[in-house]
Amino acid sequence: MMITVSINGASKRWSIRTGETLLSVLRREGYLSVKCGCGTGDCGACTVLYNGRAVNSCLLLAAKADGAEVRTVEGLAAGDRLHPIQEAFIDEGAVQCGYCTPGAVLSAFDLLSRNPSPTEGEIREALSGNLCRCTGYVKQVRAVQAAAERMRSDGDA
Amino acid sequence: MHHQMESIERPTSLQGAWDRKAEGKEAVRFLGGGIDLQLYSPATVRTLVDLSGLGLAFIQREEGLVLGATTTMTEAIESDEVGEYADGFLREILRQVASPLQRNLATFGGTLGSAHPWSDVIPAFLVLDAELTLFRGSEETVRVEEYYAQREAYAGGLITKVRLPALPGNGRCAFETFTRTAFDVAMLNVACCGAIADGRWEDVRIAVGGTPALATRLRSVETGLVGAEVTETSLGEASAACSEAIEARDDLRATGAYRRTLARQLVHRALLDVAGLKKGDGA
Repeated sequence: MMITVSINGASKRWSIRTGETLLSVLRREGYLSVKCGCGTGDCGACTVLYNGRAVNSCLLLAAKADGAEVRTVEGLAAGDRLHPIQEAFIDEGAVQCGYCTPGAVLSAFDLLSRNPSPTEGEIREALSGNLCRCTGYVKQVRAVQAAAERMRSDGDA
Repeated sequence: MHHQMESIERPTSLQGAWDRKAEGKEAVRFLGGGIDLQLYSPATVRTLVDLSGLGLAFIQREEGLVLGATTTMTEAIESDEVGEYADGFLREILRQVASPLQRNLATFGGTLGSAHPWSDVIPAFLVLDAELTLFRGSEETVRVEEYYAQREAYAGGLITKVRLPALPGNGRCAFETFTRTAFDVAMLNVACCGAIADGRWEDVRIAVGGTPALATRLRSVETGLVGAEVTETSLGEASAACSEAIEARDDLRATGAYRRTLARQLVHRALLDVAGLKKGDGA
């Protein structure tokens, strides 16, 4: 079957199988920031923004995403300028092996688009579906706090 | 990849969705958020009927609360109506369910229809005396407790909404769950609602889930408590009775004996909370 998806602002028409996940289709189409970890919605490595909300793309059938807006980390930067969340993750050293990072960045994006001044608890809750075995989360939390501050001062939030 | 799935359809009416299900039976599955379909889809499923075009994503306040079947848990958590209902009882439970990523997909219809024994939402709906509306050619309403007691009779029906009645003015609710990790499903969970007048239970409802069977109301204990004086002793006795009354079994998460211990502790905490006597986690 064919589906049409708005991916990172561009309309794409893809041939898929009805029982395929969005994760599978995105990776086949070259969106390799979207990682396959557990395949059961536990790790968050496959996080994408689906109609503006962070979801596990391993749990979402691509057929259901027909007509949806999907955003991956590939679509966050504005040209050569990284998004403030991406910059903050680099500056705060919130990246080690990097496997979970795209998902964590998108969960942070979902949070900050709705709550420009989150508490530490709200940040930890927002990232709770993105398991990280490297950072211990401390630097990720700091990165989201730093990104929130930058976005508020830049007027992005 | 579910190789057996062949097509997806998007009906624009309840009747259209039901006709497709009635025609295809086990080969047709309703698609809400899709989590269960992705994780546990039976090999018989050939056709998906996407419910997203049926206008079932809504939250209404009307002598209680009405939640449309395709409303997501996140939409409920973020709504004022759910936050204000039963002093935030339901919102706090929903915030403990899985992760935000899953809550952005998970729907109430899917939660009710899949009926996982570990569900934190179903015990809450049971003690709230929730009613769900099913469509099987016409709409019918059934109490959630009755729906699970007669599952075969209602199998295949399209859940369209769930109605949560208003609590009485003196009504309070509490929820307790015990998990191996914050992200794991419950080894056991407990929901209680009650109302107290003149120091005695006017109404009390207790549901225990994850035993590891699906949550059920403990009617015999409830009946014994109504009219009883609210004391720590009577609550302790009721908690012990709940521990005996549940259908506790072993599974990979806990032994049946451990679950009975959990039931006694968690019911006690929940009843103390409902009675306004909770002293904290050590209670």
